[in-house]
Amino acid sequence: MSKEFPLREERIGFYICHCGINIAFKVRCHEVAEYIGTLPGVVISRDYLFMCSDPGQEIIEKDIRELNLTRVVVASCSPRMHEHTFRAACARAGLNPFRSFHHVCVREHVSWVTLDEDEATEKAKTLARAGVNRVRYQSDLFPKSFPVNPNTLVVGGGIAGMQAALDVAKAGYKVYLVERQATIGGHMLQYDKTFPTMDCAACIGTPKMVAVGQNPNIEILSLSEVEEISGFVGNFEVKVKRYARYVNAAKCTGCGECTKYCPISVPNEWDVGTQLRRAVYRPFPQAVPITFAIDKKDRGPCVQTCPAGTNVQGYVTLVREGKYKEAVKVILENLPLPGVLGRVCPAPCEKVCRRGEVDQPVSIRNLKRFAADHVDWETLEVPEIEKKPPEEKVAIVGSGPAGLSCAYFLARKGYHPTVFEAMSEIGGMLRAGIPDYRLPPEVLKREVNYMCRMGVEIKTNAPIGEGNTIDKLFSEGYKAVFLSTGAHKEFMLGVEGENAEGVLRGISFLRNVNFCVDGAIGNKAVVIGGGAVAMDVARVARRKGASDVHVYCLEKREEMPAWAEEIEATEAEGIKIHNSWGVKKIVTNGSKVAGIEFKRCVAVFDENKRFSPKYDDSESISDNCDTVLVAIGQRPDVSCINGTDGIELTRRGLISADPVTLQTGKPGVFAGGELYSGPSLVIEAIASGKEAAISIDRYIRGEDLIENRPQRPKGENWAPIPEGVQKAARAKMPELEPAQRVGSFVEVGTGFTEEQARTEAARCLSCGVCCECKQCVPACEAKAIEHDQIDKVVTLQVGSIIVATGFDVMDPTPMKEYGYGRLPNVLLNLEFERLSNATGPTSGKILLRDPNDKYQHTRPPKSVAFLHCIGSRDKNYHEYCSRTCCMYALKLAHLVKDKCGHDTEVYNFYIDMRCFGKGYEEFYRRIQDEGVRMIRGKAVEVTDKAEDPSEEGMLIVRAEDTLIGKMLRVPVEMVVLCTAMEPRPDAQEVARVFGLTLSGDGFFMEEHPKLEPVSTPTAGVFLAGACQGPKDIPDSVAQAKAAASEAQALSTLGEVIVPPMISHIDEDTCIGCQVCIGLCVYSAIEFDEFRKISVVNEAVCKGCGSCAAYCPSGAASIRHFTRKQIFGEIEGILAS
Amino acid sequence: MASVTPMLEITDAVMEVGGKTLKTCMQCGTCTGVCPWNLVKEFSPRLLIRLVSLGIEGYEEDSLWNCVTCATCVSRCPRQIDIIDVIRATRSVMLESGIVPPLYRVPLSSLRNEGNPWSSPRSERTDWSKNLEIPEFSEATEYLFFACCTHAYDARNKKVLKEVAGMLAKSGVSMGIIGTEESCCGDQAHKCGAFETYTGLQESNTELFAARGVKKIITTSPHCLNLFIKQYEGDFEVTHYTQQFARLIKEGKLTPSKPVPLKVAYHDPCYLGRHNNIYDEPRDVLRSIPGLEYIELPRSRDTSLCCGGGGGGIWSEVEVEKRFSVLRIREAKEAGAQVIATACPFCMIMLEDGLKAAGIDENEMRILDVGELLHESVE
Repeated sequence: MSKEFPLREERIGFYICHCGINIAFKVRCHEVAEYIGTLPGVVISRDYLFMCSDPGQEIIEKDIRELNLTRVVVASCSPRMHEHTFRAACARAGLNPFRSFHHVCVREHVSWVTLDEDEATEKAKTLARAGVNRVRYQSDLFPKSFPVNPNTLVVGGGIAGMQAALDVAKAGYKVYLVERQATIGGHMLQYDKTFPTMDCAACIGTPKMVAVGQNPNIEILSLSEVEEISGFVGNFEVKVKRYARYVNAAKCTGCGECTKYCPISVPNEWDVGTQLRRAVYRPFPQAVPITFAIDKKDRGPCVQTCPAGTNVQGYVTLVREGKYKEAVKVILENLPLPGVLGRVCPAPCEKVCRRGEVDQPVSIRNLKRFAADHVDWETLEVPEIEKKPPEEKVAIVGSGPAGLSCAYFLARKGYHPTVFEAMSEIGGMLRAGIPDYRLPPEVLKREVNYMCRMGVEIKTNAPIGEGNTIDKLFSEGYKAVFLSTGAHKEFMLGVEGENAEGVLRGISFLRNVNFCVDGAIGNKAVVIGGGAVAMDVARVARRKGASDVHVYCLEKREEMPAWAEEIEATEAEGIKIHNSWGVKKIVTNGSKVAGIEFKRCVAVFDENKRFSPKYDDSESISDNCDTVLVAIGQRPDVSCINGTDGIELTRRGLISADPVTLQTGKPGVFAGGELYSGPSLVIEAIASGKEAAISIDRYIRGEDLIENRPQRPKGENWAPIPEGVQKAARAKMPELEPAQRVGSFVEVGTGFTEEQARTEAARCLSCGVCCECKQCVPACEAKAIEHDQIDKVVTLQVGSIIVATGFDVMDPTPMKEYGYGRLPNVLLNLEFERLSNATGPTSGKILLRDPNDKYQHTRPPKSVAFLHCIGSRDKNYHEYCSRTCCMYALKLAHLVKDKCGHDTEVYNFYIDMRCFGKGYEEFYRRIQDEGVRMIRGKAVEVTDKAEDPSEEGMLIVRAEDTLIGKMLRVPVEMVVLCTAMEPRPDAQEVARVFGLTLSGDGFFMEEHPKLEPVSTPTAGVFLAGACQGPKDIPDSVAQAKAAASEAQALSTLGEVIVPPMISHIDEDTCIGCQVCIGLCVYSAIEFDEFRKISVVNEAVCKGCGSCAAYCPSGAASIRHFTRKQIFGEIEGILAS
Repeated sequence: MASVTPMLEITDAVMEVGGKTLKTCMQCGTCTGVCPWNLVKEFSPRLLIRLVSLGIEGYEEDSLWNCVTCATCVSRCPRQIDIIDVIRATRSVMLESGIVPPLYRVPLSSLRNEGNPWSSPRSERTDWSKNLEIPEFSEATEYLFFACCTHAYDARNKKVLKEVAGMLAKSGVSMGIIGTEESCCGDQAHKCGAFETYTGLQESNTELFAARGVKKIITTSPHCLNLFIKQYEGDFEVTHYTQQFARLIKEGKLTPSKPVPLKVAYHDPCYLGRHNNIYDEPRDVLRSIPGLEYIELPRSRDTSLCCGGGGGGIWSEVEVEKRFSVLRIREAKEAGAQVIATACPFCMIMLEDGLKAAGIDENEMRILDVGELLHESVE
């Protein structure tokens, strides 16, 4: 039934397919064809049994040629099935397939989903009419083709990833295999045997690993993760983060000597925590690459907080190990004077110690002291230093902590530092301001002597300033000068009577006592001040014979700047502290002090937290005394710059210097310590000396002072606080009794005992895992250990990507009824695999766990129960069946019988046995034949509560035997939970990176469940293995081979054709608002800065239409889905 | 072995009145394994579902009437089958066919005649509120205070009710009562499968609430709470008084001050806990009482042991050694508790009965409502 319609120039052919009976059983196809034939422009309208068949296609081709058709509409199945078929037919007949052809779906959209025949037929007519109306507006389109990069990226080195890599490599293409762990192998290599053949997993798995490792076409990137992907099918650019291994893979021979020296133990992930490994480790002996790696997380909060960057975790660990000399050497890398700091450091590290989250922080300062007190400083080796020529000398002004620190680090770098000290003794405030009972002078002396052995020269009684100027130092050949004369000048009260006899300045008093110059004192002393110096002054006064000592300060108790423990020690020595009092005047009797009057201090600080005391004059008290000691603060003595120009002071009277480099306004002159910072912590002074040494080294070598300066460590990726850490109190420093202290300058703290110290050090949680003690470095003959390595990002170019990221075993801890984590012999299936595996904690023996020590095992169990479907087939957890558990439970049951003896009772509690694969049912029968008891009923509980004596000490499994309808109590010695296979926790993020989607179960979704099992919505990205859904090894390998064949097909063809139905932005209409750029999930739109318009990258665009739907100026449109085409279709639907 | 032929019309009849989810049962036996009856005797919900799903005789036996609707099985079922609904529907089919267990007859008839299951006159429904100055519910009051029949008529529970209502009113909660027009929520009738009786009660209450403009309800029984939330049609917010108390304490409107030096274990009522996930509020109330030493029982929260009173259990006769209440009291005693606190009138009756049955002296252990303990501390 053909007829001529000369009204329009378009000549349309319409064809409706019966699809056998799939369409025709609901849609009266002939009637539809007749109706469409009546529409304007339709030249021919037919129905046919199978349009997709060769004769069907020939009808179309023939009609085009004979009737001069310009357009063709076929109503049949979904365009996903045969759109391509009919387009090809049009093309063969000489038409542009995109212009001429439109496909209408009347099967999936009509016959399969409509019950009533009349309704179905009407709907088919409507849709067909819409198609005929639309096809008129279609225009010529031409697909583009792009070259394909022949390299393939495989993500995940489990059995699927390894197999895919091998197959692609075998075809001659380059493969990058990215693996997150330190070794490839994946879960399969953790198992002992494989069902149903009982092949040893290692025997069939390690050959694959070796083959991958040795294949010249495969490059393994272990300890690596894909961060970002850009580009499109055939042309991907991949950014891979390569985590530092800290072991040079090219040098490491895998001998394992390093592990003998590593003091850190953590649970081995490969063994699912059933045994420990060192921080320097290899997951298991057959690892590929064989290279060791160091597990180094971010440096602990202690290290990050220490102003000097002391490796706290390192020396604490070595103290625990009893390696005190090594501990001191670790300290000395970042910190001079360990014995001194071990006594007087305010220990900011302890405030952030994560042990405090468990109980109390580790007593870090005291451990430092312990280490320093347990080495012989006379014989302690100085590090090997390559000395610089004698003219590379540096002058350091002041021998306080900052000056000594600067000199120390310069000497370590090979320079020749000379320290000029104005006083007669070395140490600055350490020597002059800290009483001997807190810091014995011999401790300072031994550690200063050590520095001198390293090449530090010290001149005492050698002030720098007027007469002996800084300029003079330069003229004497010093290349640089570091100023650190500290804050030794004291503030005074400015009240009446202050100049009376018996009024002493605190620091001067301490200095005189320390230097044994003077220090005479009266009977009753009043100390003014609430800081550390005031406490020291009071305690020294007590020791020098004052029988009655009182401290008065402005601050409330909780505002006092002195540390709480110092305040307590002060009070313990019988000294009374009076808070919130300010001095009104000092009462004199002739020239001598007779007493002191105070007024109430109501506030010390103003609203901006600035020091600005306010008083209430109406409230006052007075006290009699013969001595007043003023300890209300110090300020710097800047006389060292006298006679030298170019060095400026700040408003506070401090030396002005760059906060990073510490260089003053005068090149080559640096400043640090309290001279630069004002009153501060001793550890800050040490740190500033260290920083200045870095600057001076750079200055002398003529390097930029700032560029690439070492960064302080940061980050909070620390080892998790282990579960079940036993609380243990922080060690207490043994002290002299208060009675012994008064009148004596013997050190109050007597130091930890060795047992105390090592126990205390063992409280460290090893936040950074590797403690950088570097004991492994000399142990490595191959010199492969490189602690300075850093994470890197490499960029790879590939044409195809195979995602094989695997699965996780579900953690059954939240299912309290099974007792996992509480009952030691309730095991996870993977734990059991490790027990049975030759490289596991028991070298392959199946043994019970020691209830008192999870890393110890005792004897073989006499009975074992395997519980199926834990977390699988359970809507409360995972609704899906994990497919492998029935079979591996049988395998593990067999292993128990095999290894523990055939008299061992083995039970399997199951719901349904799913033994569907080749040889699986036979395996099931074989295991039953071995005497394994099968109980049909899901286990509901595992308990250790015995109901009769035969159950004592056993694990009782409760379940209904559903075949006899009775509740069972089955006592066994070991229970194995066969838990679900579940998606990796970061599956969502991985999906985002690779442009994948997740199915309802959380695994990656394939493009079509039957016909495209390895493809994904992103062309060129394929799936393999259990990341797509629970799978056993044979299925994973088969899928891997399929994915490999997809990748090879791309590489072999060498080009990809990209469909032309993509976005187009009209350059004349675009206003350059760039909204589309943000909307495009494929990053296919870029902004042309020159023309100020958005431009579509045709290779990347997927034609989703987000840009076209939004574009405010109407510039963006999708080819083949233009407004005319869409509205044409809608009009066709509406016209009835 | 003689063969049996499935009678699918029975299955269809059950599914007609609910229980449709029984179709997806995979017969794993989890329900049987966790059912508290198996602590004392054999009872297999799994088998019951199987028999019903094929209409094979056996489902109608005594065991059908055993279920106390504690929802332990429901909370663990891997297929999330509403097992209680299956049992309710099966019971309903039995009642329809005229098979009524003798123990149900009196309460069901009382429900129809007096709007309460306790054979007490409707006119006495609000006797408890005398001397309490609780206003009639109106536009001016925020909450309807809905007292459970068991609270309103049972002497022991009446004391609880008075203290609870008194404290709420004194703490400034704007609430009123409706009075003798209201009827039992119908929970027991519903769970027993007495469909018509239940529907009558539900419709009468729903109309009443709508007529009076009820938007928010405070219930005294967790059973009323559950039914209002899950079965009643109507848009009202329903809370239990323990939730109100926890809120009032948190907001500082109610302050327990007097020490109550007792070792108290909390018994989770099934309809508050497993059915409605209200676990924390009653505990918060107890923990806020000074001097009170809180004890957590081994079976607590979602694994709490039922008192045996739900689903018609309160009317059934069970041998002493097989009463859950007796097991529960022994458990609490072993844990060192002097008081078992609860928040449900059925639990109160069942546990007090268990105390007597177990022969435990009042000086050794008492059963108190959370509200009573709070009352002691607040006054």
